[in-house]
Amino acid sequence: MASQPMNSSMPPNDTYGGDEIQAIILDAGYSSVRAGFAGEDTPKSFFSSSYGVTGNRTIFSDEDIHNPLLPELEIRNPMSKEGIVEDWDAATQLWEHAITSRLIRTKQGDPRKNGLNDVGGKDGVDVDMDAPDEEEKPLEEHPLLITETAWNTSKNREKAIEIAMENWGVPAFWLARNSVMASFAAGKATALVIDLGASTASVICIHDGLILKKSVQKSPLAGNWVSSQIRSLFGSVDPKVEVTPHFMISSKTPVDAGAPAQATYQKFENKITDSFRASEEERVLTEFKESVVQVYPGPGRLHYPHPVNGILNLENVKMSPGRVFEFPDGSNQMWGVDRMRIVEGLFDEKYALPTSEPPITKAQTIPEMVRASVSAVDVDLRPALLANIVVTGGTTLLQGFTDRLNWEISSLFPSARIKITAAGLTSERRFGSWVGGSILGSLGTFHQMWISRKEYEEFGASVVEKRCK
Amino acid sequence: MSQSGASIAPDCVTTFNDLKLNKKYKFIIFKLTDDYKEIVVEEASNEGDWEVFREKLLQAESKNMKTGKVTKGPRYAVYDFNYDLAAGEGSRSKITFIAWSPDDAGIQPKMVYASSKDALKRALNGLAVEFQGNDTDDIEYQSVLTKVSKGLASS
Ligand SMILES: Nc1ncnc2c1ncn2[C@@H]1O[C@H](COP(=O)(O)OP(=O)(O)OP(=O)(O)O)[C@@H](O)[C@H]1O
Ligand SMILES: [Mg+2]
Repeated sequence: MASQPMNSSMPPNDTYGGDEIQAIILDAGYSSVRAGFAGEDTPKSFFSSSYGVTGNRTIFSDEDIHNPLLPELEIRNPMSKEGIVEDWDAATQLWEHAITSRLIRTKQGDPRKNGLNDVGGKDGVDVDMDAPDEEEKPLEEHPLLITETAWNTSKNREKAIEIAMENWGVPAFWLARNSVMASFAAGKATALVIDLGASTASVICIHDGLILKKSVQKSPLAGNWVSSQIRSLFGSVDPKVEVTPHFMISSKTPVDAGAPAQATYQKFENKITDSFRASEEERVLTEFKESVVQVYPGPGRLHYPHPVNGILNLENVKMSPGRVFEFPDGSNQMWGVDRMRIVEGLFDEKYALPTSEPPITKAQTIPEMVRASVSAVDVDLRPALLANIVVTGGTTLLQGFTDRLNWEISSLFPSARIKITAAGLTSERRFGSWVGGSILGSLGTFHQMWISRKEYEEFGASVVEKRCK
Repeated sequence: MSQSGASIAPDCVTTFNDLKLNKKYKFIIFKLTDDYKEIVVEEASNEGDWEVFREKLLQAESKNMKTGKVTKGPRYAVYDFNYDLAAGEGSRSKITFIAWSPDDAGIQPKMVYASSKDALKRALNGLAVEFQGNDTDDIEYQSVLTKVSKGLASS
């Protein structure tokens, strides 16, 4: 029977997750791919989710995708705006590269796997198809656990096991929900998981290790949206701030705050594509997020009077010191209350800055998603969820985020006890679901859970639907 | 079977039934064996003082399977919790399941306990209330009384 664990049909194999055979954990998001061995504390392989296309070459390399000299280099991403795989060809190659280049030794001489990637793309895939039995597949010795979002499609789930089994030759496979992994890693079988990544923000109720489907809320108010808010701010100040990425600067001289940049610029013979430039600009925006942007921590909201002294919070903030940011061209300036205005929309749609996208709605804000998510579950369960809130994802590292979240949720549910758990370590916050998968995949007992190759061969790809809930 | 693959030792259920049906115990503390393969009874007791029970949870430890490092440890517990109703309407008894996972426990034991909990809960029939505790306040008598009685207990 498909729903039976594999030990009912074959003797347990204690070596999965043991010393001899190590499972590999793959946690792929919109901004990065995290891959590593089960049982380790952090993913050994941390890769950008972006890849490059130049001419008819496809490039999977964290260095080369930043190389402006590659002719007409276009930067692409296999993930959709909702953080699930959209382009399976690219995702397969990107993930395989993330695994083979950093984790496992592969035979020399196969250029597809020696990290050079020069012949990636279609050629490499064709080799597999022509001689499926002869070629040694890269993961024949490693069970593979892949994490996925709560809203991953059935088609994508089946595709994942197919790639793992057919292309990579894994002996065993598992799909784990990233929110459940993050919740478990925080020590909670029941939790409200709030994840703000790059493409998507989500709020999900988990009860006894299972996602409550009705409670799944998601919206685009995550890292990429914050970047678009920063761009909106840069375009609205006078003079406008142009983000000139590092690769365009050959030298710079220090200038006073607010003064025009004094830099010399690189000249390129080849065309620099918009996608390449946008991807390089994004790196600068991430630095800006890390060092300048701040969420107004509460109490109250930025554009409302302070509950105690009645003065607009915005005015109070103006009195606190700003933060200086130096752009790659050397220009620099102080960012005052604007550093908080750009993320206020996460909580209060009325104050989101205008962008080229349609305006955001109230339902997309974090507090409204929390309200909707919690309201969708049984009343009796709500206190346990609100007392066990797990915060994860890179965008939750915004300074002040958890304080504000605490204020927002406390005012939504004034009589409930609210407790937020957010890993203090940056790595744990960003790798929460990878770490959860890593521990699970390393357990001796977990060998009974894996979907074995035999099961896959017997029941086909749809076995994931039955086995991985 | 649990989501981690860990199994439940048969005496977990028999001990629980002794508490539930025969009122033989006031509480049971369950733990995962050091190899994380099985959930077993660590202690079954008829000690009636909540503080004694609480102290046992606070002192619980777990060992990291890989490094051998000992940290504060998670536990599961069942407590036969009794309280008087505020309106003088008599007393109530609630068999309460507690998933104790202190925030300062190691991440490995936290993960294993969280992913093994579902199976133990399913094996124990007749639990009236359950809650997760992560810090010392969560298992203060008063806060547990409020949770278990939904605020209806006399204090
Ligand atoms: N210190 C920081 N402060 C604010 N934002 C940050 C910080 N560090 C990273 N980010 C942002 O976090 C995002 C990446 O987070 P994360 O790694 O959780 O995303 P992901 O899982 O790849 O994406 P998704 O969940 O959308 O698929 C990026 O948008 C990045 O700019
Ligand atoms: Mg993510």
